[in-house]
Amino acid sequence: MHLARFKFLACAALAAFTILGCTHPRTTTHRTGVMDYLYPKREAAPLPMPGGARLQLPLRLGIAFVPSPRNSWQPGLPASSERPLLEIVRGAFKDKSWVGEIKLIPSTYLTPGGGFDNLQQAARMYGVDVMALVSVDQIQYTDPKWYSFAYLTIVGMYTLPGEKNDTRTLIDVAVFDVPTRTFLLRAPGQSNVKGSSTPIHAQEQLRIDSGKGLDLAMRELTVNLAKEVEAFKAEIASGARKDVDVVDRQGQSLRATGGRSFGGAFGIAEAAAGLALAALALRRRRR
Amino acid sequence: MNPPPPEAVNPFVLEAGAWAQPWRLWTCHLVHFGPWHALLNLAALAAPFAVLPRALRPRLVLGLALAAPLLSLALLPLIGDGTYRGASGLACTAWAAAGLALLRDRRPEALALLGLLGAKLAWEAFRGAPWMPGGEGWTALPAAHGIGALAGLGWGLVLAARGGPRR
Repeated sequence: MHLARFKFLACAALAAFTILGCTHPRTTTHRTGVMDYLYPKREAAPLPMPGGARLQLPLRLGIAFVPSPRNSWQPGLPASSERPLLEIVRGAFKDKSWVGEIKLIPSTYLTPGGGFDNLQQAARMYGVDVMALVSVDQIQYTDPKWYSFAYLTIVGMYTLPGEKNDTRTLIDVAVFDVPTRTFLLRAPGQSNVKGSSTPIHAQEQLRIDSGKGLDLAMRELTVNLAKEVEAFKAEIASGARKDVDVVDRQGQSLRATGGRSFGGAFGIAEAAAGLALAALALRRRRR
Repeated sequence: MNPPPPEAVNPFVLEAGAWAQPWRLWTCHLVHFGPWHALLNLAALAAPFAVLPRALRPRLVLGLALAAPLLSLALLPLIGDGTYRGASGLACTAWAAAGLALLRDRRPEALALLGLLGAKLAWEAFRGAPWMPGGEGWTALPAAHGIGALAGLGWGLVLAARGGPRR
């Protein structure tokens, strides 16, 4: 009798412990870093070529997600969601006249911690000179709401949205000239997705929020990227970036011509002739 | 000294997105690459106003206001994803319009204005943009002068047809 009672109490305690376990705050992280990929051994970080980068227009651009670190317990970005996200970045470059072709490179072709050697292999394989590496830093917080004790009724676990989810995403694109290993520019994009779910559907909701967060951050990133590209062009044209030059289709250096900044101008001789004519007309009128 | 703002950040220059920001069609003719660029264009723009009779000056201003967006729209396909700024296109409009308007009265200034404008366009067609100080960091767009002159000839015909006080 006592044994049966004890078993019952033990099972009830175990069930309560399991259910209440769902109500603990939880954190899920997905993180890939450009630095971990390009410079896996800090002491051996290679220096860029001393001559700097000389980009020939139209650019052949490759876009890839940075692979997840080797032996990482963190789940990588699902391969199926990589392409739609990279397509958003491709859309930002698609209509630019200075970009010739854009290749989407699966992250499975990049080795974790592979460094510039691996990047060069992938770039050569796809026939691109410039690589845009997309890294993701996503943290998902799940906190129980005050009424989550109702999960003890079991029915509550299926019906009450007592899990408060908060998904914070930061996406960063770093663009490199692969042959010279020169860093060209970077642009960030971030998002914050909030929501709630029942504990039974918590994982499913977190996956949906993760995708939504990545999508929103990617869209912000494209806006920032367009601004950064314009700023980058202006820096080259003004000579502020000594380590990079861009050569247009006609073989002219962007640094020498000021890029595609056009102006209409009168020369000194023409303006002087105009002023002389004006002076003569005024003098004639006064007579 | 702070570096100049990137072209895309400048809300007044002409660029491919000018459809969404129509004020750029006018303002691009008011902004310049530097004091020399602005000064020389201003001098060129002042000449036809000085030559023209006072009664025709408001009409020339109206013509320039109308020609500015047309000129900008014509330049949009030429600049691609670049930007444009400067009043010289409008100055050519003013030279052509004033020259043609004064031609009705057989004024010598008319021939001088049209002759100088023709010489400038011919020089640019064969030898490229004229030299000016502070011209580094950007490229002259002679097409702006040709299109501006065409617009000016059109407005000059209107001025000549509607007439004005003969002097």
